[in-house]
Amino acid sequence: MDDIDAMFSDLLGEMDLLTQSLGQETEPPERLPSTRQEINFSVGLTGLNASLHDLEDNDLDALMADLVADLNETEKKLEAEIQGLHAPPSSSSDLPPPPKGLGVQPASSITSPPSPGNNRSSSVTTQSPSTSSPLPPPPLQSSKPTMEEIEAQMKADKIKLALEKLKEAKVKKLVVKVVMNDGSSKTLMVDERQTVREVLNNLFEKTHCDCNVDWSLCETNHELQLERTFEDHENLVEPLLAWTRDSENKVLFQERKDKFEVFKNPQNFYLWKKDKKTLKDMKDKDKELLVQENFCGTSIIVPDLEGVLHLKEDGKKSWKQRLFQLRASGIYYVPKGKTKSSRDLICFVQFDNVNVYYGKDVKNRYKAPTDFCFVLKHPQIQKESQYIKYLCCDDAWTMKLWVTGIRIAKYGASLHENFKTAERKAAVSAAVWTNRSTPSSSSPSTPSPTIRAKTATQANGHAPKPQPGPQHQGIGNLPAPPPLNEILPPPPPDPVLPPPPPSLASKPPLSNFPPPPPSMDSLPPPPPPPPMDNFSEDPPDFLPPPPLPTSYSSLPPPPPPAPAANFGRNINKSLPPPAPEFLPPPPPDPVFVASGAPPPPPPPPPPAAVSAPRPAASLKKMPPAPPKRTTPMQQGGGGGGGGGDFMSELMSAMRKRTDQ
Amino acid sequence: MAAWDLSVKVEDLGPDAPPVTISVASDLHVGGVIIKLVEKTQMQRDWSDHALWWDQKQRWLLRTAWTLEKYGIHADARLLFMPQHKPLKLGLPNGKTVMLKACFSNPVFQTVMGICRMLNIRHPEELSLLRPVEEKKKKKDKDLTEEIYDLTEVPLSSVSRPCLYNGMPAHFADSEQMEGVYKMLSVTQPPPAPEVIAKQYRPASVVDKSHIHGRWLDSSRCLMQQSIQENDRLWLRFKYYSFYDIEPKYDVVRLTQLYEQARWAILLEDIDCTEEEMMLFGALQYHINKVASSEPQMMSSNAALDDLESALQSLEVKMEGDSSSASDLLENMTAPELNDYLKIFRPKRLTLKGYKQYWFKFQDTSISYFKSKEESIGEPIQQINLKGCEVAPDVNVAAQKFLIRLLIPAPEGMNEVYLRCENEQQYAQWMAGCRLASKGKSLADSSFQSEIQSIRSFLAMQKTNSGSSNNSAASDESINTHSLVSPRYHKKYKPKQLTPRILDAYQNVAQLSLTDALMRFLQIWQALPDFGLSYVVVRFKGSRKDEVLGIAPNRLIRIDLGVGDVVKTWRYNNMKQWNVNWDIKQMAIEFEGNVNIAFGCVTADCKIVHEFIGGYIFMSTRSREKSDTLNEELFHKLTGGHEAL
Repeated sequence: MDDIDAMFSDLLGEMDLLTQSLGQETEPPERLPSTRQEINFSVGLTGLNASLHDLEDNDLDALMADLVADLNETEKKLEAEIQGLHAPPSSSSDLPPPPKGLGVQPASSITSPPSPGNNRSSSVTTQSPSTSSPLPPPPLQSSKPTMEEIEAQMKADKIKLALEKLKEAKVKKLVVKVVMNDGSSKTLMVDERQTVREVLNNLFEKTHCDCNVDWSLCETNHELQLERTFEDHENLVEPLLAWTRDSENKVLFQERKDKFEVFKNPQNFYLWKKDKKTLKDMKDKDKELLVQENFCGTSIIVPDLEGVLHLKEDGKKSWKQRLFQLRASGIYYVPKGKTKSSRDLICFVQFDNVNVYYGKDVKNRYKAPTDFCFVLKHPQIQKESQYIKYLCCDDAWTMKLWVTGIRIAKYGASLHENFKTAERKAAVSAAVWTNRSTPSSSSPSTPSPTIRAKTATQANGHAPKPQPGPQHQGIGNLPAPPPLNEILPPPPPDPVLPPPPPSLASKPPLSNFPPPPPSMDSLPPPPPPPPMDNFSEDPPDFLPPPPLPTSYSSLPPPPPPAPAANFGRNINKSLPPPAPEFLPPPPPDPVFVASGAPPPPPPPPPPAAVSAPRPAASLKKMPPAPPKRTTPMQQGGGGGGGGGDFMSELMSAMRKRTDQ
Repeated sequence: MAAWDLSVKVEDLGPDAPPVTISVASDLHVGGVIIKLVEKTQMQRDWSDHALWWDQKQRWLLRTAWTLEKYGIHADARLLFMPQHKPLKLGLPNGKTVMLKACFSNPVFQTVMGICRMLNIRHPEELSLLRPVEEKKKKKDKDLTEEIYDLTEVPLSSVSRPCLYNGMPAHFADSEQMEGVYKMLSVTQPPPAPEVIAKQYRPASVVDKSHIHGRWLDSSRCLMQQSIQENDRLWLRFKYYSFYDIEPKYDVVRLTQLYEQARWAILLEDIDCTEEEMMLFGALQYHINKVASSEPQMMSSNAALDDLESALQSLEVKMEGDSSSASDLLENMTAPELNDYLKIFRPKRLTLKGYKQYWFKFQDTSISYFKSKEESIGEPIQQINLKGCEVAPDVNVAAQKFLIRLLIPAPEGMNEVYLRCENEQQYAQWMAGCRLASKGKSLADSSFQSEIQSIRSFLAMQKTNSGSSNNSAASDESINTHSLVSPRYHKKYKPKQLTPRILDAYQNVAQLSLTDALMRFLQIWQALPDFGLSYVVVRFKGSRKDEVLGIAPNRLIRIDLGVGDVVKTWRYNNMKQWNVNWDIKQMAIEFEGNVNIAFGCVTADCKIVHEFIGGYIFMSTRSREKSDTLNEELFHKLTGGHEAL
């Protein structure tokens, strides 16, 4: 710790630069570096503490947890600075709560509050395009002398480390409101470097859903009536920054079957010309081969797509038919009177600068020939413009083909990587859940989300990183599954619970029922139960990709939650039959091996007794959810009102919204 | 047993020497015959590579333990005693010719293995030999200048020791001349002159393309059996487009030759691509040439490293990378910027005023402008963030026009902005800045200087091209852009029209290392829809017209010649069996679901088609565990036909 502090004093000059905007607003810039450092620190920290205190119980506490869980002192300092950076602008201008957010929809995100802050501090980071912000005068003089003092090699190393810290300090964070399936929402802090996958993992922790591969974050554009699924490897913050301040765009947390459909049924995309029956009867082995051929070679192969589509041209109102062709390098069309030979093709669009979206309601809005429309536009374009390209297909299936094809062409191998990661996550989290539902392990596991989220952030790592731990737990801990069986019994609430997932997570505490196993929340439509024995040879480390596709490809729809499945099996044994109907089939998951292979379940303790710890565990996590939101908000408002720091600002933003 | 006279022509005695006659008995084994022969000639030399060739039966007598009786040899047999390895002129994918000793006695499959071992190409199963296209003999003087790289001195035994010295097989390190040969093999060739491209044979149709595949040699028979003579010319090419496990570290020659083959396939329109793709291929060629010529050392030394060394080196690189990123950061602190008077024009605003001069400041990824230099401390008139924008040049060096066209995304759509620079110097800097900013990189990025450099060299290209057409200054700065694209575009565009388009595509590849650029070229090539198709004109059973069968690594396609469309696709993994009726030269293939097809081959021998299909199936059986040992037996089983049985 001292070391790091020393490092910091070495680098105060640089810090000055960074905290420039903060300094301007909060303190006289002439201060000695060291004092300022301290003051910055304390100011930030007290502010943080105060707001934490105020917020203790309200909706934001998950968010707060993210911030507090920071164990590193230095980290804290920087964190505080960030908040400092964010705070002044938003409090002074009072822009934060976007008007739309206050409207009918409680569900719009509040990306904008932080962004003004970002703009201010952006002399070092990126700047949002539209605003012109005053550039801080270059404070070079202050940094130069400090630099000259540094002579030793050791110090150089320290600089490097410190630079990384500084880099971290420059990291943009957004508070994002994610809309769940049922219309409720969750708020989370997203760091500029976090990928969609990391955010998804975060959400998994918060929602206790089954983590299957279909869970996605989607972006909707209200003004243009567009929608698209974020790819797991994308950074979430960047596209969100493109939103206009008053937009009613949303981020949705949903299961999207089409996200990874191409890996589950590659034949539908790569052999789409074949007849339906051949496609349907495709053997798993052949599916796997197709994925192999097209995604695992030296080059990614884009599905061979060609067909007549309706095009709405540059701002014109009419729709024109053209013969389009998809190639790895872009979409082309055949000019009138020319052949389909490659060299005659005219390039319609290349994918470097556009994203592909689904268009909604195009028939009404643009007099489109059909409603099966996909749209290509630069991610920054948010309003009607001639630079948006609309393409209409004759049927939904064709549209899906094109959108998927374009995604393959645009993202290539990343898509496959994403799928493999998602698959691993689904398998691992099933194992984790099994483990977690053990009474003893449930409470320690509660704080883990924050810590995990944090580590992921700091390491700037990717999803797989945190997994090995839990995964081994789940697998190594073979005895775990049997207890699970006993805990699971509380099926009574289950029939009451319909599919919508995350909201349920919050309901149980209200009804005095013992909460159902969390993953029960999101029961996907029950697919046919797969053979479970296939998976007994799955190695514990999940790494080799080949085995996974095989096993998965045998299951048509997404892998359902493991605990739920276990639950089902047990019910079959010990409980009245009705339950199984609601239960999804067991997923292809090593947990099964665990739960299935060592089958001697010890005599189950009475359900009630066992379920007691569970509510406790889940209560810890869940209370912050919706029901509590209204009241604590007001409390928070009272305490944090004067602070004028970021947290209180956030709170007031939240309050305004909920109040309306 | 009765002795009789056997006369054998000994090649080493010269073409006019009379046959050597020895007295043999029918139970004498071939080895004994050879000993008698050697004794009779009384020549002191290494006879170990020599063997007997039976002319009438067109076969080698390689089993020395077999008796003459067993071989069925009588006094009337015309036997030839000669070395099994003979010199061959081999045309390589890069257009160069090597002379080397190839095995004339083993099946071509093994001959190719031997050649590849000598040239240091892994996975020889993907390559084969074919008879070259007859050259039009227009200019005989041209032919004289052809350089032949001589590898005939390489002792055959040395080929078997695979030890690497200085990145190359030991035999390449023997002399400077040999090192030169290795350099030719492992370093990409400079872009060919446009006239050279134009002069080469270009297939104009699918049928033309199908003729080339009639030239492949039969892998299961030896060169002698296919009437290839000593010193004949053959082409070595990648035949199966299924490139297994390319590892740049070990595959220097393989990768280079593969690139060359792909490059020529593009330049000669052997495979079709779109204009955009052609520009990207052109840009990659330009880049590869530039990088290869600037760091020829890298290539060979890279390969020279053994595991430990390379691990160390990559570690070093990593550390360098780290420190440079740190120093980048430091530079970021001192925020490099560009400041200058430029002219701006925004066509969207319907003012006819045209270009107006402002004081511009380029910082980070944004441009801001002010009324004048003096006012630049205050609030700018406007600030434009270039991240995600499109940048296009509009330059005419002769007319001293240096425009940067920017399409800047905004929530409302794209805004068009023109920046006018005064001179080349200014243009190169601002253009480079815009390019980087559009990708979200700031001026502090390490690539800024190289970006400026490449913009300049492209400007220079425009200059030389627009000047006198004879580019006497043949520095690599002034490549004729016609060298990078197929002749079709020579007619369509002037070099100076091509330059900005290639430059445009170049932006996306300019940062690639040599290996990455090669790999990218191959990837784009492999992603072309027609990649990997070898065509044969066939006639399907029951059909009255010729059609084209396309053979790809994973499927067969049937192409209707009239429409030029793919009518039908069959995938190998659905294939149950295939048979060849050698008498009527017809192939019959059965697929799952009771699909049966049968066809006779028009432009190629049945065996060639059979070998293609069997070959691809063989390629798909390769797997990582046994990648090092080539299952030759299986290959012959799959491709050999009746001869293998």
